[in-house]
Amino acid sequence: MAIAGVGQTPYRRAHADASTGDLVFRAVSEALNDAGFDRGDVDAVVAGVAPDALAGVNCIEKSVIGAAAPPGAPFFRVNTGGATGSSAMLAAMTLVAAGRADVVVAFALERMGQAVTSQQVFNTIFDPIYEKDFVLTTITMAALRASLLMARYGYTERHWAALAARNHRLALKNPLAHLHRDLTVEAVLESPLLAWPIHLYEACPMSEGACALVIAAGDRLPGRGPVAWVHGAASYSDSYAMGDRFDRPEGTLVDLVTLRRAAEVAYRQAGIADPAKEIDVVEIHAPFSSAEVMAYPPLGLCTPEDGPAYVDALIDGDAGGGSGGGGPGPVVNPSGGPMAANPVSATAMIRIAECALQVRGAAGDRQVDGARRAVATGQGGATQFSSACVLAAEPPGGP
Amino acid sequence: MTDTELVTVDGVWNFQYRYFAGETASRFFAELRDERRIVGRRCPGCQRVLVPARSWCDRCFLATTEWVAVGTEGVVEAFTVLTAAFPGLPEPPLAIAYVTLDGAGTALLNFVDGLDLADIDASAALLLDRPRVEVMFHDERHGRMTDFHFRLKD
Amino acid sequence: MPACFVDGLAVEIGPPDPARNLTELIFQTVRRALDDAGRDIDEVDSVVIAAHDLVDGRSLSSMVCAPAAGAYLKDEIRLGDDGAAAFSLAAARLEAGEARCSIVAAWGRASEGDPDAIARALFDPITEGPFGLTELTVSALRASQWLGRHGRNGSADSARAAATERRAAAASAHPGAARRLVAAPAGVRPPAAGSGMASPPPAVGAAPWPLRPGELPCWADVAVAMVISDRESPVRVAGIGHGSEPYSPGDRDLAGLPGLTLAVRHAWPSQRAPGDVDIAELDGLTLFDEAIAAEAAGLATPGEGLRALAADGRINRSGGSAAGYCAPAMGLTRIAEAALQLRMPERSTHRYGGQSAPGDASDGGADCAPARSARWALATGSSTVAAQTHTAVVLEAQ
Repeated sequence: MAIAGVGQTPYRRAHADASTGDLVFRAVSEALNDAGFDRGDVDAVVAGVAPDALAGVNCIEKSVIGAAAPPGAPFFRVNTGGATGSSAMLAAMTLVAAGRADVVVAFALERMGQAVTSQQVFNTIFDPIYEKDFVLTTITMAALRASLLMARYGYTERHWAALAARNHRLALKNPLAHLHRDLTVEAVLESPLLAWPIHLYEACPMSEGACALVIAAGDRLPGRGPVAWVHGAASYSDSYAMGDRFDRPEGTLVDLVTLRRAAEVAYRQAGIADPAKEIDVVEIHAPFSSAEVMAYPPLGLCTPEDGPAYVDALIDGDAGGGSGGGGPGPVVNPSGGPMAANPVSATAMIRIAECALQVRGAAGDRQVDGARRAVATGQGGATQFSSACVLAAEPPGGP
Repeated sequence: MTDTELVTVDGVWNFQYRYFAGETASRFFAELRDERRIVGRRCPGCQRVLVPARSWCDRCFLATTEWVAVGTEGVVEAFTVLTAAFPGLPEPPLAIAYVTLDGAGTALLNFVDGLDLADIDASAALLLDRPRVEVMFHDERHGRMTDFHFRLKD
Repeated sequence: MPACFVDGLAVEIGPPDPARNLTELIFQTVRRALDDAGRDIDEVDSVVIAAHDLVDGRSLSSMVCAPAAGAYLKDEIRLGDDGAAAFSLAAARLEAGEARCSIVAAWGRASEGDPDAIARALFDPITEGPFGLTELTVSALRASQWLGRHGRNGSADSARAAATERRAAAASAHPGAARRLVAAPAGVRPPAAGSGMASPPPAVGAAPWPLRPGELPCWADVAVAMVISDRESPVRVAGIGHGSEPYSPGDRDLAGLPGLTLAVRHAWPSQRAPGDVDIAELDGLTLFDEAIAAEAAGLATPGEGLRALAADGRINRSGGSAAGYCAPAMGLTRIAEAALQLRMPERSTHRYGGQSAPGDASDGGADCAPARSARWALATGSSTVAAQTHTAVVLEAQ
């Protein structure tokens, strides 16, 4: 099966001129046009919407059913927090692989432009009995990991700042990105400290928008333009309690055990043995620059111990040039990643959408030359839910 | 037709809940309040002492059994210092850390004291070193996680 | 449809139990389902959950809840839909060859939150919010439209009374009836067991007109889990279907459930007519929703739904929403009830009000046990908003 079409609205702090239905309609229509299908071809719809509190409407996806689904169609809603967008893709794939549907629209909607503040909402994701009294939020939970990465592997505050600056610079070529900022490392380090060691510019913005994918079975595709073939995809869920995951046989809190397993399975399905050589583009779901480094070892880009050196190489241009030259290894986050736009429900789907555009040669100014294979990651909860999705320009097993 | 002024409507998202802590957590809280003890429960599968006490182990998918009191000293596994204020959350600066107490198989979360939070870099440097901390029980205890906090040991 | 069987199940419905927190309730129910299936957690390679953040009182509630449902290092996904949809997705994973043995779990504790406040938040803040619409008021709108069409001048009154009585009797006859639930007046949370407060009787006028107190759901704490797999068992999953409807109540045929009709049509193996079920467990918030569901599912002609609920012994032996209700657990509960009725009297793993059900059919009450020759069961589940999307599942006894 393949992703036959992609649709995205621009991502902004608020789309004050758009109703929720408008956002979904725009993304879904664009994806259907891109795929060469119309709404009547759609057999089922999977909607991805993360915590309802961000939009301030309970089950907002139900209110926009008409913007995405033909009347009466099977309609599911997925909510796995940050991983929602990739979970929606995986659920859509299940329906196609099961033969329940040939053409599925998966869309992810984020309406957090309606939220006045998000950190208070994010405080409510944590255990109300044992943990709620301590300022746990998405920022502090990322900071806890960042401090652990520094203690264990020797990362520094400069690494976090440099990765943030790099992502922002890449986003300058992405017209859909929410933030377009050309930042120096110093500017990032001088931005307000939110929770040590994380500075404001190392954290994602609050963004809203919608993203849609059209997933189609192989036999519905002949005669259409280039598509992004799915070569592998997997997801795993971990224990909730952070306190249970510091040291255990399966791996530490920062080893991203679930991403490691998801990537292993996805790579195996895709027949990829040496990802650093065989993958051209990687889109990592990391809402904080420090979180990005936890994905490198599971994706096969470097070992955990070599992480700081790998980051140095990425920053200096000695790595991550893709097959177009400029250092070995895939290009990381050509879209600018979640640093530049983080519509929570959609972020993980956007990583997949961007990879799809890359392998089709349709990524505009942010196109990586010669990109043929790409992998997208998704993250949800406090590094609890992970997914990996491998896309390629050719069908599995050759053209 | 003239340009239309965009309408926004104010709303409040405010839901009341009462969360049942359950027997196991209730006993954990009672031990804190009445005995100044921190207790965990052992999983018969992996033998870990889960702290704070939980009635089931998600790794083995088994009910936990034995109550075990753990030490009141331990080591900092990870920390952060909250420095920015957010609506609805306590005022910064605040240091929080996960600490594995002696005898426990898991770490638990609480505030950390004994730091000069006016000097964040110095505080962070101290905490990065996986220092040992001790549990400070409060004089007034209510049977909640806030009945104690961690303090850096000298 | 590729091989998909019900391996094990467990249902827990009861008044609030402060001795257990939400994750403990989930863990214990999923554990019992695994034990019922005779399976080890290591044999499970998929977990599909249905839960709502607002019901659970925790944003991204699957963070704390998924591990309780057996998700540790497993391929787990959470739907913000009724549990029957989770059952469907889990079955699809088996059909796709992505998994061989899946846990399916759904829950809702009406006692931890305020069901009315949660329901009010379902409606558009600009067009419907100002009028305080809840799912219960939409059910009342359905009832008034249905009565307008089929029950003028009191012509449906006796069927209505009889259906209410049968529903209450079925709910009472269920194991655990000693700790009976009482319909909670709108806006009032059931008091915790042992809190010293007696359950208040339903207040007169608490039911939105034209609904009557006996037609309302009984808010309860519900947790339900099933294990489905490719391993042969006495209950086979024969068909699954889905349907959906527009969002706004004003855009819908409120006296019908066209989305459910679609779902049932897709779920039935093509050679059988919908009327041929031996067992039907139909999800519905109130008596009228259940009656309309009976009509939509083809078990009664339009206008005959209440009579069917009163007299058709195949329908909702469990007592439906009178036996305990909390979204989004009910579709999966209906599937579990249907499976149980298909395989009774061999085993029962029900627990109502904290007490285990005896494993003997004679304790279940005559009304509970279906005819020995029961072969086909239909179960339905409907999701927000006010039964907008539907899942239908057909089970076959082997």
